[in-house]
Amino acid sequence: MRDPEFKIKNFKEIFSTNQKAKELALSGTAPWTVIAAEKQIAGYGKEKVSWFSPQGGLYFSIILPKSKIEDLQTLTILAAFIVAKTINDNFSLETLIKLPNDVLLNQKKVAGVLTENIIGKDVRLSVLGIGLNTNIEKFPKELENRATSLKIELGRELNNKKILKKIFKELKEQLKTISE
Amino acid sequence: MKLKLKIKGKEREVEILEEGEDKVKIKVGEKEFIFGKEKEKKGISLIQTSIPRRDFSKKEIKAPIAGVISEIFVKEGDFVKREQKILSLSTMKMENEIVSDFDGKVKKFLVKKNQEVKEGETLIVLE
Repeated sequence: MRDPEFKIKNFKEIFSTNQKAKELALSGTAPWTVIAAEKQIAGYGKEKVSWFSPQGGLYFSIILPKSKIEDLQTLTILAAFIVAKTINDNFSLETLIKLPNDVLLNQKKVAGVLTENIIGKDVRLSVLGIGLNTNIEKFPKELENRATSLKIELGRELNNKKILKKIFKELKEQLKTISE
Repeated sequence: MKLKLKIKGKEREVEILEEGEDKVKIKVGEKEFIFGKEKEKKGISLIQTSIPRRDFSKKEIKAPIAGVISEIFVKEGDFVKREQKILSLSTMKMENEIVSDFDGKVKKFLVKKNQEVKEGETLIVLE
């Protein structure tokens, strides 16, 4: 079903979806716009630690409506819960949330959430980035023991677009209370 | 801006504050004097001609949230513009870019990289 409210900008390859989302938000792109990429050249997580982002994974950021900073803190945790719930409900896998922002499967990282804000006297803009290892077949040696993907766990290819829409819908539903 | 001036042989603390557009409030002890364009026309405001038109209010940038200073983008003596990125503040759940609310020169940097700061703590002072 087509959702007229679902606005998405797709990129084949991007430096980082959060970076792009911040740029776009600064130049006036509307809240709830999704920026998705098939591949990130310099994807990163908390404290700018790089996030392995090859083709196959699901990488997207959402421009958020302006909110209070305390609400945004809750939001990061909430987003991790939604990602975990989406995996549990749709693929019957048992996830574990490593607070505040990582989702684990078999004690290995499968997804991460990073909220970034630009703040002056008030919150100028906020973006929420999600990296989910969906169709990644293999991780480099140094990550093998720490990261996994849904494809590795399930043994089959998944539809990234469908998963993105499910997470987005759930997030928007949960975040109705945080609005401009 | 606070100054110590000798007035009639006595040292007094004089504070100069901005009071809306084209108005300057001068506090001498507990007494307040407001100088503006209108008064200037009447020839009262002798002192105002020697005051440059600028923002005299306190230009401090405070931590909007508790966290750790992860990156600093300016240094003391730098001129910064409104909306310019000053530093990054990491919290357990978020990365925050703190931008300046003012144009001005960085007078004092009160924090260092990797320092923990509390909500409301002054990070830098501009002049």
